[in-house]
Amino acid sequence: MSLEIHVDIINDDDVMAARQKGRMLAAEIGFSPTDRAMLAAVITELARNILDYAGRGEVLLQPIENVGRRGIAVIARDHGPGIPNIKDALQASYSVAGGLGLGLRGAKGLMDSLEIISVPGSGTTVTARKWQS
Amino acid sequence: MSAIQVDLQREYSDALRDYLARPNEPALRRAYELGRGTLTNGTGVLGIAALHHQALKEVIPGLSAEIEETLLIKRAEEVFIESLMPFEMSLRDYREAIAVLRRMNERIEEEAKRIAHALHEEAGGLLASTHLALEELGRDLSPQGSERLSLVRTLLDHMDEQLRHLAHEIRPIVLDDLGLLPALDFLVKGMTKRSGVEITVEGSTDGRLPPAVETTLYRNVQEALNNVIRHAHAGKVAVVVTREAGAVRCSVRDDGVGFELSAVSAARGERGLGHVGMRERLDSLHGTLLITSVPGQGTELLMYIPLQG
Repeated sequence: MSLEIHVDIINDDDVMAARQKGRMLAAEIGFSPTDRAMLAAVITELARNILDYAGRGEVLLQPIENVGRRGIAVIARDHGPGIPNIKDALQASYSVAGGLGLGLRGAKGLMDSLEIISVPGSGTTVTARKWQS
Repeated sequence: MSAIQVDLQREYSDALRDYLARPNEPALRRAYELGRGTLTNGTGVLGIAALHHQALKEVIPGLSAEIEETLLIKRAEEVFIESLMPFEMSLRDYREAIAVLRRMNERIEEEAKRIAHALHEEAGGLLASTHLALEELGRDLSPQGSERLSLVRTLLDHMDEQLRHLAHEIRPIVLDDLGLLPALDFLVKGMTKRSGVEITVEGSTDGRLPPAVETTLYRNVQEALNNVIRHAHAGKVAVVVTREAGAVRCSVRDDGVGFELSAVSAARGERGLGHVGMRERLDSLHGTLLITSVPGQGTELLMYIPLQG
């Protein structure tokens, strides 16, 4: 099994590196090209949030396994201001559906699960998992 | 691949093959209808891109994996998919929002049912007990006292009627027990009596419809009729419900003053004409609302809701 991959997110080049490493890991695990593209999109959105809201942070990519099924966990972690209202950040709101502000909700839709732990003033950790289809 | 995906792939490949052999409108129409169908069957933008790619492979003669590689078709598709991804995300977000909206509507209706039931059964039961107690009291009273008591009982009867009326407005029990058409019959009887506008209900639902569809049509007809009574100065209104293959259609047509659609569209966002609420309820069921109105010639409101399965 491949090892966990760690990418510091400090600038836009790091976002690119994280995308690339995520795509490679996904290929190794046997994700379809479409699923690989979805994973890259999720990494982009989570890493972009780190740059936009915390300035810097890190992205971890972990191979995971459950009853013979393989998948990938993307963990995005920062020590920024935190998300004041996670529910608002995640909940699909009718009025903004289809608009921009895709970020977290868009990532959630592409993955099998997504959870957020955020402590105001000390940072945010987003963990998103996707299983082989 | 699921059965739906296999069918979609065959249909898309057929249409593409047909069109590449000879450009013709029916092939394009089939592709259009296929795309339209994916709005409700869960296929996303990426799903359609995959259909197209697979169809190209099937349709272009001699397109082996090797040639595909040489022509860089596969590689080109990766770029294409990346650019489509935000649309896929936005589509999934929209579908999630629709699902949230539907659950919210269901919760509101459940709550309405609970309140209507409490009014009807519990408050109604208390009133009945009060009647019995008063009757017993009446036996010990002088004729003068009995007369006053009967006034009290008349007031209680009014209250009982009000409670029933209120319970029905909140959630018509007849809709749950007997279905859409009997509930609409009951609704228009009351409205005809109160407004003097002649309202008829016709058609058939061919058996019971899903509860969410029944509720949506009932609420929308209720709102539409209220609009007609308030604004249209109509003499007659016809409500027609028809069941079609895979869908139900309901129209409300009046012979009133009509209106300029552009004037109403400009005022969208205002709830005055109630169309926003109607659209929201229909949206949650992937339904559509069509309004045709000509000043001086009345208005027709047409609702169409696809039925799954």
